[in-house]
Amino acid sequence: MDGCRSGVPTYEGDLHVVAAAHHIVKALGATKNLSDDLRKILIDLDSHLSMITSNIDSKGGRGLVDVEERLDLAERKIMRWETDPMMIWDSGPKEASDYLEAVDETGKLVDGLRGLSVHENRKQKEILHRAMNIFQTAMSRLEEELIHILVRHGQQFEPKNMYSRSIRKDIVYDESFVSVEDEPTKETSSQNCSNDESGECIVDLVHADVIPDIKSIAKVMFTSNYGPEFCEAFISVQKEALEQYFSFLGTENLSIEDVLKMEWTCLSSKMNKWTWSMKIIVRVYLASEKQLCDQVLGGLGSVSSYCFLEISKATILCLLNFGEAVAMGPHRPEKLLRLLDMYETLADLLRDIDTLFSEEAGSFIQLQFHELLERLGESAIAAFKAFRVAISSNGSLYPFAGGGVHPLNKYVMNYIRMFPEYWNTLNLLLKNQHPGVADQVTKPDYGPDTSLLTSCPMAYHLRSITSCLESNLHKKSQLYKDEALQHIFLMNNIHYLVQKVKGSELRLFFGDEWIRKHNAMFQQHAMNYERATWSSVVSFLKDNNPGSSSMSKSTFKERCKGFSIAFEEVYKTQTSWSIPDPQLREDLRISTSLKVVLAYRTFLGRNLAYTDDKCVKHTVEHVENSLLDLFGGSSRSLRNSRRW
Amino acid sequence: MPATDYQASFLGRISIRRNQVIAMDGNHEQELQDLELFSKHVSERFAELLSSPDDVPFDALLSISWLRKLLDFFLCCEAEFKGILMMGNDPSQISKPPLDRLIPEFLDRSVKALDVCNAVTNGLESVRHYQKLAEIVVSALEQKPIGDGQSRRAKKALTSLISAMNVDDKECSAAKATERSWSFSRRGVSSKDRVPEHFRSVSNHVAKNWSAAKQIQAMTNNLVPPRGAEGSGLASPVYTMSVIMVFVMWALVAAIPCQERNGLSAIHFPAPKQLNWAQSITGLHEKIGEEWKKKEKKGTAGLLDEMQKMEKLGNILMDFTDSFQFHGDITDQKAEEAAAHAAELAEPCRRMEEGLLPLQMQIREVFHRIVKTRTELLNALDQVGKSSPPLL
Repeated sequence: MDGCRSGVPTYEGDLHVVAAAHHIVKALGATKNLSDDLRKILIDLDSHLSMITSNIDSKGGRGLVDVEERLDLAERKIMRWETDPMMIWDSGPKEASDYLEAVDETGKLVDGLRGLSVHENRKQKEILHRAMNIFQTAMSRLEEELIHILVRHGQQFEPKNMYSRSIRKDIVYDESFVSVEDEPTKETSSQNCSNDESGECIVDLVHADVIPDIKSIAKVMFTSNYGPEFCEAFISVQKEALEQYFSFLGTENLSIEDVLKMEWTCLSSKMNKWTWSMKIIVRVYLASEKQLCDQVLGGLGSVSSYCFLEISKATILCLLNFGEAVAMGPHRPEKLLRLLDMYETLADLLRDIDTLFSEEAGSFIQLQFHELLERLGESAIAAFKAFRVAISSNGSLYPFAGGGVHPLNKYVMNYIRMFPEYWNTLNLLLKNQHPGVADQVTKPDYGPDTSLLTSCPMAYHLRSITSCLESNLHKKSQLYKDEALQHIFLMNNIHYLVQKVKGSELRLFFGDEWIRKHNAMFQQHAMNYERATWSSVVSFLKDNNPGSSSMSKSTFKERCKGFSIAFEEVYKTQTSWSIPDPQLREDLRISTSLKVVLAYRTFLGRNLAYTDDKCVKHTVEHVENSLLDLFGGSSRSLRNSRRW
Repeated sequence: MPATDYQASFLGRISIRRNQVIAMDGNHEQELQDLELFSKHVSERFAELLSSPDDVPFDALLSISWLRKLLDFFLCCEAEFKGILMMGNDPSQISKPPLDRLIPEFLDRSVKALDVCNAVTNGLESVRHYQKLAEIVVSALEQKPIGDGQSRRAKKALTSLISAMNVDDKECSAAKATERSWSFSRRGVSSKDRVPEHFRSVSNHVAKNWSAAKQIQAMTNNLVPPRGAEGSGLASPVYTMSVIMVFVMWALVAAIPCQERNGLSAIHFPAPKQLNWAQSITGLHEKIGEEWKKKEKKGTAGLLDEMQKMEKLGNILMDFTDSFQFHGDITDQKAEEAAAHAAELAEPCRRMEEGLLPLQMQIREVFHRIVKTRTELLNALDQVGKSSPPLL
């Protein structure tokens, strides 16, 4: 192309060279698929060549003097800025275009002079060197101006407005599996996302007003063969801007060793942040960077994608490495949801990545993304398995006081309540994972009820998890010496399980049949409790000889005493037991009341003759009221309290 | 990479598999043969690396192609090692002494190696930058006739190149990154071609205060040759593979710009001379160590052959551009010399253009391989832990 830009042919003999060049330019210009920039360059050349032809025609060999005059003029325009502390592009568009014109002129002169034979006279050689010297000064200056414009007009954008920290999960579940005491869910202040999650969001990384300036600098530097300088400067500034933005997001570089040693709470928040940063970096920052590269360097072949790759590679690798480190770490159950978040984010971004790095050189980055996705998937499955293992192996040495809802149960149910959110991903990952042999029993015997959701892989695994949980709870119930308390414990826990399923999307996966079955299960435990506790108590009130009208006084006395003692004993013990669910507590009291109070009333009614006696320690009302105190979670005694 | 390398490694892999099948029969003789074969392959491979002729630039010690061969050998040795450790033997062996101690130590080393891989990958970005600057020098000086303009263009790129290559390792790390600015201080500076300050130094780092030298030093912790009866068992391939891993990482760090390399030459790993395979590694270690000591004092970006050539030619050409500016013109002879040097500089540029990306990808492959083996070993340990009776 340099050859075509000849500015000063001094001999007739050159005329045919110019004509040939002109012809080539015209031929090139006729090509259909040319980029706009290239087309413009060709048009420029075309007019320039026409000008030369007319120059040669009119002036013949007198060009050298003319050249020197033109060079003097351009030199003045270029060199005056070398002593000026102002930047050219800051001084105004007129200054900038004057400068570019002078550069263009110098470039033409250089090319023209170089097109001449080297063995020309000394004077000519001198002018060429001078022109090239000025040209170098100008190119060097343009590089500075470029960096200045990019830095000065580079724009930071607030990540907060881009994506909410927790886009769809409103619950942070960061507790480690081993340390669960209370309800481990806490609501976070979830901001609403201003962007649709899938929506592209492109911002101006450099102010839109200066894009034409940058383009004009790019154009002149590339046509003058200073493309490499342009690229290095452009890449340097943009790469640093990205790195700054990266640290602005609060993402620090961590070694793999550091990540592996990190404590769970810290790791969890880093994983969360990663998910968030990854989205912003890829979908907003890199998409915008790509656009900038294309705006500035589009039409220059692979230059744009080369620059984009060089700018983004290091940061991308840094993000990927954190992912690798997380996937490598121990597969603890509490990691599952965070891993799924990371997996889904990555899976979601793959299309963006494949577009951003579609060129061959970028396939390396593409490949790394796909590798990490696979690794995260494996890691998530491993964490899932670890979760089940942790459930079945969670052992206790002592019974859980009061027979309430066990923390393990709470942890597990609150945890799996989140699973439906990850339905698609979990199904995909669990598709080829068979639940253990022991879990075959959980295969649904649902018959016609089986819907699509209850028979998906996740549903199988969910039921397998709850069946692990149930059998563990059964094991835990065996720690109670009191059979009645075993039933209270199981009733409470199975009730809790069913409530959690019913109260969330889990119900769709467990199905009505499962719910019915488990409802029946806790009701059975309630009945078993009543039998275990109250049968013996009520047996005092039973009429052994239904035929006879009434029992003897001494028998009555004895029965009364026996009932009182037994009732007081139950009262003392079972006030300390706990039924956390108020409805369940109420139901059990009513049903107990029906059984006990009714029997007591009948008993007293049948033996009205003796009821005045002091041996009747408790009135029916007393008994009825006392029953309300059961399962309150704090032990009381009837003997000391004299409230009736 | 010549095709024969792949062929060799391919055949190597086949022979492992065949041996594993036989070893599964529980034949102790076969196991011994496997171990012998492993150490034989290791010594053959490293002997080949040691004998790389210095006068053939393509394969010279620490050239890009040499490093790629080194990494290829690493991958081969690793595959063979894993075969011996996990397939050819009773799996419960890895949970028994001395492997119950050696394997976790090995895994720990693996994790450290991963961070080194990443640091080196970052370093390759800098090498890429040197390449681009050198290419500018070449394109400026290959124009004829050489005038003040091209000379200044070359000088500007050379100044950036030489200062970038002399960046202290410490500057590669975190501290500087935040202070960097793009000031040119236009006022009062008379130089015609200002080189921006801190022009694109290594800003990506593994982590704050991370040091490649310390990391490799830590990899040598507990690295002692197996003694006595252990020497004939599986302890010996674990030791061999550890030494190979440490050596490969050490060589990469010496060759490629990397975060914090103070004390790199002080690292030595005890490889007893009587072990056949150890001789070549020790030889290489000494050879590279000597080189490093020479360069360390001056401050060097790394011993990568192409980079060293670049540095040498860069300095010659810098003198040329200096004298050009001083005299205003030069003799034809000088111009020809400069053109010849520029043409020479084009050679390492070309090899970088061809080799850097594949090298980067290969380092990533090593990274993934180490991760994979680590996972498999952990799973195997887990499996063994489950099947053995609980300790309670």
